[in-house]
Amino acid sequence: MSEQSQASQDILRLIGSIAGKDPSTLQRGQHLTVDLGLDSPKALELLMALEDDYGIEISDEEAADLKTVGDILDLMAERSSLA
Amino acid sequence: MTTSSALFDDLPETLPAALGRAAERFPERGIALFDGRGRRHDRRTFVQLAAAVQQAAGRWRAAGVGVGDVVLVALPTTWAWFEAWLGAVQIGALPVAVAPAVGFGAADAQLDKLSSLVERLDAKRVIASAPFLAAAEDAGRQGLATAGIAVDAWQKLTPVAGTQPVAKAQDIAFMQLTSGSTGHPRAVMIRHHGALHNACTIDEAVGAGQGGPAHTWADAIVGWLPLHHDMGLLGQLLLSLLTGVDLWLFPPTAFLARPRLWLQELSSHGQCLAHGPNFAYQLCVERLDAEARQGLDLSRWRAAQSGAEMIRPETVKAFIERFAPVGFRASAFQASYGLAEATLAVSVDRRGLGMRTRPVPQGSIASELSEVVCLGQTVVDTEVRIVDAAGQPLGAEQIGEVQVRGPGVFAGYYREPEATAECLVDGWLRTGDLGFQADDELYLTGRSKDLLIIRGHNVMPHEIEWLAEKVGDSGGSHRCGAFSIARGGQGEEAILVVESSDKDLEVRAGVERRIRLEVSEALALPIADLVFVRRGKIPKTTSGKVQRRQLKEQYLDGLLERL
Repeated sequence: MSEQSQASQDILRLIGSIAGKDPSTLQRGQHLTVDLGLDSPKALELLMALEDDYGIEISDEEAADLKTVGDILDLMAERSSLA
Repeated sequence: MTTSSALFDDLPETLPAALGRAAERFPERGIALFDGRGRRHDRRTFVQLAAAVQQAAGRWRAAGVGVGDVVLVALPTTWAWFEAWLGAVQIGALPVAVAPAVGFGAADAQLDKLSSLVERLDAKRVIASAPFLAAAEDAGRQGLATAGIAVDAWQKLTPVAGTQPVAKAQDIAFMQLTSGSTGHPRAVMIRHHGALHNACTIDEAVGAGQGGPAHTWADAIVGWLPLHHDMGLLGQLLLSLLTGVDLWLFPPTAFLARPRLWLQELSSHGQCLAHGPNFAYQLCVERLDAEARQGLDLSRWRAAQSGAEMIRPETVKAFIERFAPVGFRASAFQASYGLAEATLAVSVDRRGLGMRTRPVPQGSIASELSEVVCLGQTVVDTEVRIVDAAGQPLGAEQIGEVQVRGPGVFAGYYREPEATAECLVDGWLRTGDLGFQADDELYLTGRSKDLLIIRGHNVMPHEIEWLAEKVGDSGGSHRCGAFSIARGGQGEEAILVVESSDKDLEVRAGVERRIRLEVSEALALPIADLVFVRRGKIPKTTSGKVQRRQLKEQYLDGLLERL
C-alpha cells in the first residue's frame, strides 16, 4: 500500500490499531471480520473512531455493507474527500 | 415465592393500559434515548410517548394492519421502534422485534433472516429502513419487498382516527424470538397479563435485597440492551412503563463500541438499576483500563442484574475487583435466570449479598465446574421443579431439567403446535436447562439440549470451552464451541472448534496441545477433532452466545473453514 495518500495511511493506522495488526500488512482485499478478526464490538469501535476522527456519520446501513479494508477506504474517500 | 408487593394488586390489564396509566400517574417521567453513537439523547415523557403511540396505532391501521396480523419490527433502538412496536400492540396486531443488521458485512445475512421470517410467520408488514428494503427489492426478495414498509414512509402515513385498544389481559400482546442458541428462532407468544406480571416480579425481586421493590427507591434504569431481547424489553421498557422509573437507554451499538458510556451514565444518576448478560460485565473488564475507569462513580448502582446467559464467577470477580475502587458494591450484583418462553424472569437472587456460589453436587453428571452461581428464589406466583429424564420430580441438590409454571409462561410458539406441545406439558414449561435447587434457590449447570455424552459420561459443552478458553490466544469469552457427533457405531465423539487469530502454524500446534492436555486432565475426555477457525467464524447470537447447533451443522456440512 506504498502508493497510498497520507489520508489513507492514517485510516490504515487506525484500523491496524483496533485490529491489533501492523498497518503496513493491511491490504485492500482483506476482510474485516475474517482476516482481521474484528468482531462486532471491535467493528463498532472502529466505526465510532472513524466518525470521531473525521467528523462524519456512518449510517448502520453503510456499516452493514462494509466488508473489506478497501470498502472502508472507499467509503472514507467518498465521505470526506480525503484519500 | 408468595411474597408480594402492592403493585401486583394494581396491575394494569394490558400494555396499552399500562402506557396510559404511566402517562396519567407519572406525567413528568419518561424515556431518554441516546443516538446510535451514544453522544446525544432525546427525552420524551410518558405523556408524549402515549400520544405518539396513539398516532402510530392509526398509521398501522392506514397500512392495512389489523387484529392478529404479524408485524416485523426490524429497526434499531430509535423512537420509531417504540412507536412501531407499541402502536402495533395498541391495535391488537402481533409485533415481533427483530435484531437489525449490526456490524460489517451483516447486510446479506439480514436479508436471508428477514425473508425467512416473513415466510414462516406469514408477516403482514415489515418495518425497516428504506435502504434495507431497497436492497431486498434489488436482491429479488419478493416476499420481503412486498411486506416491507420503509420507516420514513410509514411515519408519513395519515393515521386512521379513533383507533381504540381492544385487547384483554389474556390476549397475545406480542411475540419474542427465541434467543437462538439452539435451532432457528421461534416466535414466542406472550400475553398482556403475563408480560405485565413478569415486569412486576422483576420490580419486586430486584428490589428485595435492597430494602423494597425497585420502584420505591430507583431513580433510573440505565440500559443498552436491545429491545428485541427479552431482558431488554422486560427489564427496561416494560419495567419503566409499569413502575414509572425513568429509563435512560443507549442503542446496543453505542455500548458495544464504548462500554464506558454505560458506566458513565450509571455514574451520573441517583439510585440506579441496570441489566446485562455476563458478557457485558466481561466487556467492561476487558475494555476499561485504569485510565478509563477514572472519573466513574458506581456507588449508586444499587442493582446490577446479570442473566440471559450462563454467569461465569470469574467474570463477576474480575468486575468487582476492577470497579470496587470506583464505588461498585459487590452486594449490588444480582444473578438471575430467565428465558423468552417464561416472558423473562424465572428466578432472581434476592438476598442482596452479591454473588453466591456453591459446589456442583456429585452425581450422574460429570462436571468440571467447581462452583455454580446461585440464581435465587423463584419470582412471585411462579414455581420451579427439577425433573429427571422420565419427567419425575427430583429432590434438592439433584441435577435435572428445570421446569417452570406461572403467569409469565408463554402461550405457545406461533403456528408451531408440535414444538409447543414438546415444550409445554400440563402447564409446565420444559426449559431444556439443567440445574438443581438447594435451600429453595436455583442453580444452573448447563443445557440438556447441548449435552455431550462421551463414553457414558455426561459433559456440558461449556466445560470444554472454558478449559480451552483458558489456554493461549483463544482468551476472552465465547471463543470456542464444543459439541458431539456420532459417527457410525462408535458413539459420540467430542469436537472442539476454536477461534484463533494466530497465523503461525507452530504456535497453533502448541495451543492445540495445551488444550488437549487441559481437557484430558480435567475431564478425562479425548477431543476427536480440534478445529481452528478465524476469529468471528463461530456463529453467535447478537448477544454473543455461541450457537452450538449451527456450528455443528456447519462442521458436518464441511462449511467450516479450517485454518
